[in-house]
Amino acid sequence: MANSRTKGLVVGAAMLLTGLVYFLLATRVPGPGGVDAGFFPTLLAVGMILLGAIHMFQHRHHPAAAAPQPVSDDIVEQARAAADDEDAPVGEGAPDYLSVVLSLLLIGLFVLLMRPIGFVFAAAIYLFAQFALLSPSDRPVPWLGLAVLAAVVSAAIFFLFRYGFSLMLPAGPLAPFL
Amino acid sequence: MVDLFAAGLLAAIQPQMLLLILLGVVVGIIFGSIPGLTAVMAIALCLPMTYGMSPAAGMSLLVALFVGATSGGLIAAILLKIPGTPSSIATTFDGGPMMEKGEGVKALGAGIVFSFIGTILSIIALVFIAPTLARVALSFGPHEYFAIAIFSLTLIATLSSGSMTTGIFSGLVGFAVSTVGIAPVDATRRFTFGMVELNSGFSILAVLVGMFAIAEVIKVAEGGRAGSNIKIMAPVMKGVKGFGFSMKEFFEQIPNAFRSSVIGIVIGILPGIGAGTSNILAYIAARSRSKTPEKFGKGALEGVVAPESANNAGIGGAMIPLLTLGIPGDAVTAILLGGLMMHGIQPGPMLFVTQAPLVYTIFAALTISAVVMLIVEFYGLRIFVRLLAIPRHILLPMILVLCAVGAFGLASRTFDIWTVLGFGILGYGFVKAGIPTAPFIIGFILGPMAETNFRRGLQLSQGEFTGFLTNPISGAFLALAALSIAWQIWSGMRRRQLQTSN
Repeated sequence: MANSRTKGLVVGAAMLLTGLVYFLLATRVPGPGGVDAGFFPTLLAVGMILLGAIHMFQHRHHPAAAAPQPVSDDIVEQARAAADDEDAPVGEGAPDYLSVVLSLLLIGLFVLLMRPIGFVFAAAIYLFAQFALLSPSDRPVPWLGLAVLAAVVSAAIFFLFRYGFSLMLPAGPLAPFL
Repeated sequence: MVDLFAAGLLAAIQPQMLLLILLGVVVGIIFGSIPGLTAVMAIALCLPMTYGMSPAAGMSLLVALFVGATSGGLIAAILLKIPGTPSSIATTFDGGPMMEKGEGVKALGAGIVFSFIGTILSIIALVFIAPTLARVALSFGPHEYFAIAIFSLTLIATLSSGSMTTGIFSGLVGFAVSTVGIAPVDATRRFTFGMVELNSGFSILAVLVGMFAIAEVIKVAEGGRAGSNIKIMAPVMKGVKGFGFSMKEFFEQIPNAFRSSVIGIVIGILPGIGAGTSNILAYIAARSRSKTPEKFGKGALEGVVAPESANNAGIGGAMIPLLTLGIPGDAVTAILLGGLMMHGIQPGPMLFVTQAPLVYTIFAALTISAVVMLIVEFYGLRIFVRLLAIPRHILLPMILVLCAVGAFGLASRTFDIWTVLGFGILGYGFVKAGIPTAPFIIGFILGPMAETNFRRGLQLSQGEFTGFLTNPISGAFLALAALSIAWQIWSGMRRRQLQTSN
């Protein structure tokens, strides 16, 4: 309960901070005043600040609101709760944040490399590294299979979109041969 | 209307269109059946394929994906007892036990056939309701559109998962993100920080792909390298006649299918709640009206028919506000809206006047998709079952690359891929904070509609805010919006009181 209360307070503070930053930016929007280009952003920012404050207040005075709901015996009620929890993480156990950070870095690297080395190579490197990173640890990683799969998939996507759907993905060093 | 539908049907049965519909249904079923893959992802990654197509061909592919993905969820729900999509949650209750009793094929066959019936009933509702609603909406002005946008935003923010504060906050953030770029009416530049790329704001596709597809990949990464222990039971297809159930059983289920489809259509029309809710409500309704409610949860055929009729009936229901008012009810219809806009088509009542052939081609494509789904899903079952075994650590990175291709294809600039990544991180942040993402998307789409119509409405009523309240339709929608918030606050307080007294 203490954890969810802290989480509620942190989320509320983040909501409030987002509202404050947006409010500061909204005040800089040029306009004659009244209902101008800055009117709605200011209104939205005030709304965010208020909601952040309410959220913090709720979790400060009513920790029960942040507590998990009791689990019903009825399968329908359980399902309804599961349906409501559409954003629940899929992984079991403690989240592996190292994998998250590494995955984000890999995606960033893929975007950065796409123009200089071309889509095929950038995508192949990304796919290979991402497959390997997320491969189950309870069995050996099939390095060669993953490398072949990454190369075949990236080449297939490139040629399918370039010649099938006329989408000019960066060719990089392949450009002279195409 | 019949002439237009016949013309639409003629356009949709061209070989190229049929191929696209087949492709859409197959890809949709694959995405629907594999837990973790969604209809939004399927549509997002097929959108770039439509860039070079005519609007009719492009939309036919997209609606086929929608039909396939909505129905595909039943495969995993019955074979794995895991819903492929939230719209098949209730299917697991009786589909799983039927599979265990050796009636897997009957459950799958009934699920597929009644998904088809639900889809067809909803298309009939769409064909009859949408043009009528569009005629009414033709008289709507800025006051009405502003009020409808606010009503839809309020509804989705208060009805979506999580608390009401986080739901409304999510909608406000989506609205705030939509204010980036050139402001409506006076064309002032806002929040662009001198970046030319931001002048036209963020693209719907970049936002949707980031919030849903990238966030999903990050969620899988969060699971680390834990292996999957999912056991797949293959249905025994040998000696199966027809769809695995008798004509008597079929006719017995007709009232249940009809009631469930009506629930699905009505819920589909409302913004904010969709097939994820209607399948459970239809299941509850079927159980309470059944002569043998004790059989529910132990492998009752009604328990498969009800959710599968209802979730597919949401397709036509959700298309009604999308096509007539330009209001998407959920993320799937939001991305369909993005697809329409990408082809230069603005949904709304004028669409039925200026682009009537296209509208009826979409209706026809939906009908053909339902037929293709019926055939492909049942007879291709063995192939779809095999696809369930493909590990997600292989599938999701491929989907990510395809999403990046889609984002790059918007304007051939890497800026859009960075945008996708940025919104992916934001989407993941929302997941971790327990903030629902659906209101964000609806806020992002309806925000400009609300702001533009508010400012135009004010100009029309000489700067008087009361114009929004004195206009009967606008006043009614604003009152409904206020009522929905008041209702949520009241029910929240009552729940808290009950918890305290317990």
